[in-house]
Amino acid sequence: MVLTNKHLSRRTLLRGLGVALALPHLEAMTPARGGAGKTPLRLGFVYVPNGIIMPEWTPAETGRGFALSPVLKPLEAHRERMLVLSGLAQVNGRALGDGAGDHARAAASYLTGFHPKKTEGADIRNGISVDQVAAQAIGGQTRFPSLELGLEGGGMVGGCDSGYSCAYSNSLAWSGPQTPLPPEINPRAVFERLFGDGEPMDEETRQRQSRQNRSLLDFVREEAGALSRELGQGDRHKLDEYLTSVREIERRIQIAETQDVGQQREVMQEITLAKPAGVPVTFEAYSELMFDLMVAAWQTQSTRVITMMVGREGSNRTYGTVGVPEAHHGLSHHMRAPEKIEKLARINHFHVTLFERLVAKMAETRDGDGTLLDHSLIVYGSGLSDGNAHSHHDLPVLLVGGANGAFKTGRHVEYPKETPMNNLFLSILDTMGVEAESLGDSTGRLEYLSDLTA
Amino acid sequence: MAAAVWLAAFPGELSLTGQGPAPEQAYQEQVRPYLKRYCVACHNARLKTAGVAVDQLTNAASIEAHGGDWEKILRKMRTGEMPPPGAPRAGVEVTHAIVALVGEELDRVASLKPDPGRVTVHRLNRAEYNNAVRDLLAVEFRPADDFPADDAGYGFDNIADVLSLPPVLMEKYLKAAERVSRMALGRVKFEPVLERRTPPRDRPQTERLNEQAPLASRGGAEIVYSFPADAEYLLRVRVRGAPDRQAPAVLDLFLDGERIRRFDVNFTGNEEDEEQRRFEARVRVAGGQHRVMAVFLRDDSWAEWPNINFPKEGPPRRNPIEADWLEVGGPFDVTGPGQTESRKRILSCQPEGDGEACAKAILGRLARRAWRRPVTDAETGRLLGLYRQGRAETGEFEGGVELALRGVLVSPNFLFRIERTPAGTKPGEAHRLNAFELASRLSFFLWSSIPDEALLRQAETGALLKREVLEAETRRMLADRRAGALTANFAGQWLHLRNLEGFKPNPELFPEYDSRLRAAMQREAEMFFEDVVKTDRSVLEFIDAKHTFLNERLAKFYGIEGVEGDVFRRVELTDGRRGGVLTMGSVLAVTSYPTRTSPVIRGKWVLENLLGAPPPPPPPDVPELDEQKLGKEVSMRQQLAAHRANPSCASCHNRMDAIGFALENYDALGRFRTHDGAFAVDASGVLPSGEAFTDAAGLKRIFRANPEEFVLCLTEKLFTYALGRGVERTDKPAIRAMARAAAAKDHRFSELVLGIVNSAQFQMRRAEGKEPGLGTDE
Repeated sequence: MVLTNKHLSRRTLLRGLGVALALPHLEAMTPARGGAGKTPLRLGFVYVPNGIIMPEWTPAETGRGFALSPVLKPLEAHRERMLVLSGLAQVNGRALGDGAGDHARAAASYLTGFHPKKTEGADIRNGISVDQVAAQAIGGQTRFPSLELGLEGGGMVGGCDSGYSCAYSNSLAWSGPQTPLPPEINPRAVFERLFGDGEPMDEETRQRQSRQNRSLLDFVREEAGALSRELGQGDRHKLDEYLTSVREIERRIQIAETQDVGQQREVMQEITLAKPAGVPVTFEAYSELMFDLMVAAWQTQSTRVITMMVGREGSNRTYGTVGVPEAHHGLSHHMRAPEKIEKLARINHFHVTLFERLVAKMAETRDGDGTLLDHSLIVYGSGLSDGNAHSHHDLPVLLVGGANGAFKTGRHVEYPKETPMNNLFLSILDTMGVEAESLGDSTGRLEYLSDLTA
Repeated sequence: MAAAVWLAAFPGELSLTGQGPAPEQAYQEQVRPYLKRYCVACHNARLKTAGVAVDQLTNAASIEAHGGDWEKILRKMRTGEMPPPGAPRAGVEVTHAIVALVGEELDRVASLKPDPGRVTVHRLNRAEYNNAVRDLLAVEFRPADDFPADDAGYGFDNIADVLSLPPVLMEKYLKAAERVSRMALGRVKFEPVLERRTPPRDRPQTERLNEQAPLASRGGAEIVYSFPADAEYLLRVRVRGAPDRQAPAVLDLFLDGERIRRFDVNFTGNEEDEEQRRFEARVRVAGGQHRVMAVFLRDDSWAEWPNINFPKEGPPRRNPIEADWLEVGGPFDVTGPGQTESRKRILSCQPEGDGEACAKAILGRLARRAWRRPVTDAETGRLLGLYRQGRAETGEFEGGVELALRGVLVSPNFLFRIERTPAGTKPGEAHRLNAFELASRLSFFLWSSIPDEALLRQAETGALLKREVLEAETRRMLADRRAGALTANFAGQWLHLRNLEGFKPNPELFPEYDSRLRAAMQREAEMFFEDVVKTDRSVLEFIDAKHTFLNERLAKFYGIEGVEGDVFRRVELTDGRRGGVLTMGSVLAVTSYPTRTSPVIRGKWVLENLLGAPPPPPPPDVPELDEQKLGKEVSMRQQLAAHRANPSCASCHNRMDAIGFALENYDALGRFRTHDGAFAVDASGVLPSGEAFTDAAGLKRIFRANPEEFVLCLTEKLFTYALGRGVERTDKPAIRAMARAAAAKDHRFSELVLGIVNSAQFQMRRAEGKEPGLGTDE
């Protein structure tokens, strides 16, 4: 997937003038290999909106011998690396007296297990999300504690869902009760964050740049400090957010400065990704490019934690290429009409098809003593099961990846109804080496992940 | 300063309210019996339907004590939503008299305990960041387009409380500051790039390109381009068509109106001769913005063209030479950054010695403009620290300026709109903004940008605090082209025009929809809004108007004859089918599904955005329409009627659907129709108030005859946008006053703006701490 400006390379006159993108420069790469110990585990969450047609998703049998359901069929090749989990619920996505707004709550509660506060403005409140618990514990070892990516912009006008701030339906990741982390949806911007803007840079320039950035951050910290003394509580909160971000950037600079240039060069040579020109026109190409960037980010150990929103919750994307010109959310209220259900299943199937390319790519990517897929754990799913009825239980949950051997994969496990999704998250945090006693509405660890009973 | 004293300076607030005692008598004689007769059966302490119990509202004092409830009640009464269909209701006049009486009392009480509200420090949103660096440094490349989308609240993306600052944004601020500073100073490694313009393909190039084109020219293409440096550039044109070997076309290349090259367009016309179709010149151009134009000389044979070559229908019989595209490539062989506008803005003095004196002057001036206030010595000192470091590292004066400029742009003083509470203000007490803070509020409201030099000067002398100066500045700024930000950011969100780009109608059902039609729809709505602002027209024209703005494509789409060419122009409307925002293609499209219209969405859109009465969200798992039968076995109207038979749906849907059906004469793209599938469209309806109409034009007449609801709604929206916060109950009296004042002046747009600008809410701020509440029921 390379997007270049064609007419640029056509003429001899301009050929070779920095157009075709060369190797991204070496700024701030962390080695993926080398060093002692186990290869670190990467954690991903891939979210699809508006629920899933569950009869087409849930395998008929449980245990090892299960047959892949129609929607999961595209993942056949990775069957032994999959765990399908049925029966989990995110009950805090339910109304609980707050009335309409299930889509906003589905996304907001998905990784938090928290009942988000119904508001359009000032006082948004949600729990911290599992990816951020991991990021805050182990993210200090990488340049980016986490990456938040998406395939759909949040720029819709009008309330997002029945009195809920758009922040709820547009973000999965929450680093604090009032801090949703918006997904980056522009592949070029993701590329530039990871690999710089493509300009080659010598060591001296690189050092000067990080020195200058440090000075700038010192400068703004002084500015903010002077200001803070003059402001009231609520205003100071905004400034604190600013200072927190400043500290985070300083940390990244520090990590970048301690990197081994030789090793970086070695890793970079394996990455064949060119700088994207922007958002590709077709959804297929768009998702593939973003998935490639996810692989690159994990491969270079730029981060270990990534969330990816395939669509905003309540998305009205149309899927003409698979014969669904209707808007997704409108269609999801199918009222049991068979032809609508069939179209929704087609969307579900299409999403899994695209996701499979990510999994396949990870299975092909060398990483330490195995492949990237061996050292990863990706949770694929939605915050709603039946989109028509806005059900927050029996959620579609699929784990993919070797998880460094922590889980016994290749199975379909059915849990008792209403088992908290957050129990799974606690278990996942264990595998990441993050100690957490509880998270949101968790009641304990999820059983049967590492043994074959069930 | 005590708030009550200061508020006396806001006559708009006080003049409306009687000086007499609370109207207890009127309350007992009129209001209570009304509530008893029409409301209490459902809204009593036992049932508390919708949380309202009117049997507790026993006296005039209850208006103050239960102000929030009363605001809700008044809205339902104004719109006729209550009492519900079927229940007995009073005549419209009686209801309006009650609304007026209670409304005035609410206003009077509010004026005694004024609360201007409080806006948290405001992070610049993307549009504001782009505009601010453009106005500060004359850089046009919109760095903030790469920032994450700003979350919206209350329908707008400039709400202070909602705008957060995650680390990824800080990272982008650092990067953007670097790019902006380096681009502005021309301190970049110049990578040659190509920029191409393609003229529209569906217009024969027989006319003069535009007003700037030479008189004896036809067609061609132009590009207004910011040349990044003094350097050599490649200007290149590709032509299409078959050459006339006997009388070759003549192509002239112009730079800023000066002809720099002439070509004979003569070649074999063979497929493989692509290179021959390209005509290029390499020229030295000074850095800065220039206009490049490639046009054809109008020759003798041209006179016959309209007849010979361009029959109205079908393809042209001959294949005339036209410009396919025009490119600028470069820079090559850079000799210097050039005297670009950006460099002129920054480098206002010549450095001598260590350059500190000059750097200090430059940075003081830039920081004052960027931070919208005078800069302290300590602050200049810190910036000079950055200058010294940059200078030492690069050995260049401009390297120092660059680093310090980056500091200006990542400082919280630039990124946040900060308002300070004066020392000695008690918690919860209201205080007036200082003149600089007021200037910022004004410029971010009208321009989505920083104040210009003229406005800053009015702030510096304190003159801006005078009402007449503030009014004059407001009018000056509304007339300025930067007020176009109101169209992009206010109208774009109020009318949901920003959603048009994401609207993807089913191509099988709507093959005629393409990006050019979309752009034309968008442009119509924008120009209409701009026109109301620029020529200060009545805002009632948003409901209905006798004109709109069209080009040929959109006019044909609307079925309007006599509009030719791609250029938009004002068109008078005669048939009553169009006029006002309700019947614009853009609005009709963003309120449709990709496959069909939705009377419910359209009705909801009108209630929310024109009438200020958003319906509550539907209960979950409501039955949806049966799409398969629609237009075939049963009409949309029949299906929705079944839906409304359910009383819990009816109370909201009666009004919503009636309004939506009035627009059924317009399909999902906004095209006029008389049939929907097999069914003739019936656009007639009755509003809960009893007013009847037969079509959209009739509905618009009803809205226009009683415009209070609309004006209140628009005022609330504009107020929300102006202040960057949601409307509180305590703002309602002031908003009513603004709407009334505008009504007295023909509803001119500027009057609404001035109403907001002159309000306590806009000019004052409450210190943090306890709120001087007017009752606690909300």
